[in-house]
Amino acid sequence: MTARDLPVDGLASPAWGGFDPARTRGSGGDTLRSFAVAARLGWQMEANWTDPVLFFIYSVAKPVSSALILVVMLEVISGGSRPEFRAFVVVGSALWAFVVSGIAGLAWSILEDRERYRMLRYVYVSPSDFLVVLLGRGLARVAVGAMGAAITLAVGVVALGVPFEPGRIDWPLLGVVMVLGLTSIVAISVVMAAICLQTRQESWSYPEAAAGALFLVSGAVFPLAVLPQPLQFVGLLTPLTWWVEGVRQSLFPGGLTAVGGEGSFFTAVAGLPAPAPAQIVLFLLATGTVATLASIAVFRASDRRAKDRGLLDQTTGS
Amino acid sequence: MSLSPDLPAIDVRGIRRVYNVKPHPVVALQGVDLEVAPGEFFGLLGPNGAGKTTLIKILTTLLLPSSGTARIFGFDVERQTKQIRRIMNMVAGGEQSGYGILTVREQLWMFSQFYGLPSKDGWRRVDELIEAVGLGEQREQRVATLSTGQRQKMNFARGLLNDPWIFFLDEPTLGLDVSAARAVRELILAWKAAVPGRTVLLTTHYMAEADELCDRIAIVDHGRILALGSPEELKRRVQRESVFRLELDRLDGGPAALRRLPGVVGATSASIQDDGRERQSVEVNLVLEDDTALGGVVGALAGIGSHILALRKSEPSLEDVFVELVGRGFDEESDEHEPPDPDRTPDPRDTAHEAGEREEEQALV
Amino acid sequence: MSAAFNYRPTASPQEAAAWTRRQILATDLRAVGGRAYPRVTGMFREKSWVFFEILLPFLATSAFVFVYRALQAPPEYVGFVVLGGAMTAFWLNVIWMMAQQLWWEKSQGNLELYFAAPMNIMAVLFGMAVGGFVMSSTRAVAVLAIATTLYGVSFAIDQWFLLIAVFFLTLAALYGLGMVLAGLFLMWGREAWHLTQLMIEPVYFVSGLNFPVGRLGIVGSLAISLLPLAVGLDAMRQLAFADAAYPLGTPSPEIEALILVGMTVFFLLAARLTLRLLERLARKEGRLSVRWQ
Repeated sequence: MTARDLPVDGLASPAWGGFDPARTRGSGGDTLRSFAVAARLGWQMEANWTDPVLFFIYSVAKPVSSALILVVMLEVISGGSRPEFRAFVVVGSALWAFVVSGIAGLAWSILEDRERYRMLRYVYVSPSDFLVVLLGRGLARVAVGAMGAAITLAVGVVALGVPFEPGRIDWPLLGVVMVLGLTSIVAISVVMAAICLQTRQESWSYPEAAAGALFLVSGAVFPLAVLPQPLQFVGLLTPLTWWVEGVRQSLFPGGLTAVGGEGSFFTAVAGLPAPAPAQIVLFLLATGTVATLASIAVFRASDRRAKDRGLLDQTTGS
Repeated sequence: MSLSPDLPAIDVRGIRRVYNVKPHPVVALQGVDLEVAPGEFFGLLGPNGAGKTTLIKILTTLLLPSSGTARIFGFDVERQTKQIRRIMNMVAGGEQSGYGILTVREQLWMFSQFYGLPSKDGWRRVDELIEAVGLGEQREQRVATLSTGQRQKMNFARGLLNDPWIFFLDEPTLGLDVSAARAVRELILAWKAAVPGRTVLLTTHYMAEADELCDRIAIVDHGRILALGSPEELKRRVQRESVFRLELDRLDGGPAALRRLPGVVGATSASIQDDGRERQSVEVNLVLEDDTALGGVVGALAGIGSHILALRKSEPSLEDVFVELVGRGFDEESDEHEPPDPDRTPDPRDTAHEAGEREEEQALV
Repeated sequence: MSAAFNYRPTASPQEAAAWTRRQILATDLRAVGGRAYPRVTGMFREKSWVFFEILLPFLATSAFVFVYRALQAPPEYVGFVVLGGAMTAFWLNVIWMMAQQLWWEKSQGNLELYFAAPMNIMAVLFGMAVGGFVMSSTRAVAVLAIATTLYGVSFAIDQWFLLIAVFFLTLAALYGLGMVLAGLFLMWGREAWHLTQLMIEPVYFVSGLNFPVGRLGIVGSLAISLLPLAVGLDAMRQLAFADAAYPLGTPSPEIEALILVGMTVFFLLAARLTLRLLERLARKEGRLSVRWQ
């Protein structure tokens, strides 16, 4: 087959192997394919440890340490007199490890690809949607975070005396809040990625800083009622608050609530001691939708700005 | 200025370097011996994967040899690294080092501090070098915004900050366009002219560059030095005679008429050109024992009424030398496994015209 | 042009290579300043760190303050958390800006140039630390000042000199440890990134970032003997809150100061040895330039 054999209108001849650039118009199949390839790449990079033992230690030690910090803080003060609080902080801490991994996923992919591998520009100019590829890349870290959360919960139940009755789990609620919560975490991660497109290499720590700040208002390790009312209001607008509450209520129905309770903004306004499952899902859906739409808008704006200023292929170390 | 007359600038004996890579170890250097005199401009010429960068990394104390010894002005590359680092500098092609957030001036000043220049001296030296390399307009521009050619000029200025006694240039024009590459070569020559006692080791796979810059060249392939000498000496290995191509308006009796002339080894007809404008020309390939026989040929042609329309001398290129030594061109694949070449992007300038004839054309009417 | 090219003519390369101790020291000190320069300059050219490195960490520290408030802890525990939050900045500087920095420099192509230059690589690392110190100390002061004001933390300091000395000894030991880690991370290659991650929460836990480390029993004792952050933080808490009912079980601040001196000397010597050995190993295996390891 030579150039003379090509059809006049281009390269669409099946005899040429069937590749037709005109087909890569961003159809659903192409998007899915891009996502799958990026996810596989992300997993291979994330799981590419030379020593599996280290990988195991990393997966266990990091999230478990976070939980232990809080458990010890609790023990130091209460001396074990408030066991219900232990479940509260262990669940919150386990979920927060998931949040940190998830938020960092896309942002670190941007920084790695731009600064270390210098591949960002090639990914960007490929026909695949840039955001879809980033989402795929970030999925691996979300998976590692999920693994860490599960391990921490297991350690909490086995070793830290967290009372757990599998028969009481509200599975439908758990399923719904996990899907909605994951979407919200990814939305926040997209915002962090948008920020890291604009900042220099030293912004590796930004996702963790953001997660730390959200830690304050999400009711992860203490009830929102402890906060001043303005901060409680901010917390109620954050999808992560409803997600943590939803997971807690589904795993430990009737347990301590972070959103409601005496002195809380929610109880003062709604007149309820704790939000009902339907309310949790509704608020999570509403806040998550706003977060998702906002994150896409922020990312597109950041993308445009990065292209305008030539930030996509620069290295910024210091 | 006095240099110890006994100590070569570079003294390499039996250097061997093996990389333990999968699936099997790669021998990048196979017992290389080399001596470079102080003040010499020495070139290592060879294709990608020949071992040039490996050798330069050993000499710049970044890599240990697997066996053998190497010395820079008598200092051992394994044990006396500090002394060597004080008197040498290096610039590689395709370098993306540095910090994008700094300006050119700041970047160079930072490196001046690494070489121990007092701060004020550093700023002054940086300003002088920025002007010398032609980056005056870019002095306050951030490094991340420089073009490739500008960046390489900056790297070159960095290489000169400590006024090195020996300057290692590892493919310094890699990835540069023609004018940027020429500018870098001119800078190198200007520096060499300003400080003639300094030594340069250049690695390159551009024949023309080695031909233009180097006093002596070692042709390297698969970790071995295949030939060593000045560019002229190397070319004479391939072709001892002088070859010319003549374009004549006519040649009565054909090329045979020229074969009988003294000093003519051979004459063959090339082609008959008919440009359709009532003008015909005859091209003849002429092989002479040496250039002095040309005068006789010109006179004989005048005697038989032939007019010379054009005269070109054909010289073998260094690639011809390489082909003679190895049996393949620079661009051709080898049957043997290539050693790993760290971080090199393929160069778009490896085109056929660079490995062609050198033409000295004189149009005679 | 020739004047620019002919800087400081020496008679021979042997003369040019023969540096005095003074020259060597001066070069290393200049290298510190040179390497700190891009860090400090970068701070002023790209200011997002003001938000991400000061405000957000303050909020994260506040979260732990509210945990203690939820538990109705004694007021000095809020002070412990605030002090721990301030010191986090320096630990993160060691981890992010020192320990994995040589590995990053290799990726950027700068590592070869550093090793090819005559200065000591420890000077480069120290320059990175000094440059990062500016940002870390800004963060620490901001967290301390804002949190102290907002949460009504009251300090009771009897021994100012000892407190300041312990602070700087902690930094010295931390930066020494950072240099050791930089060498190790250079050799461990791609694991460096993961190991950095491993050294955040686990170190926070065993160092007692949010609670007195003595509460960890044997684990706390081990931490005090191995981790500069643990012993420094414990000593500073005892000195900064001298009137608090501080839990027993850890040495006195004076002894902890001596431990820090020992750690500083040990880590600096270990760094020197480690970096020297690892440079040789990296040169042997060709790891100074290959980017993907």
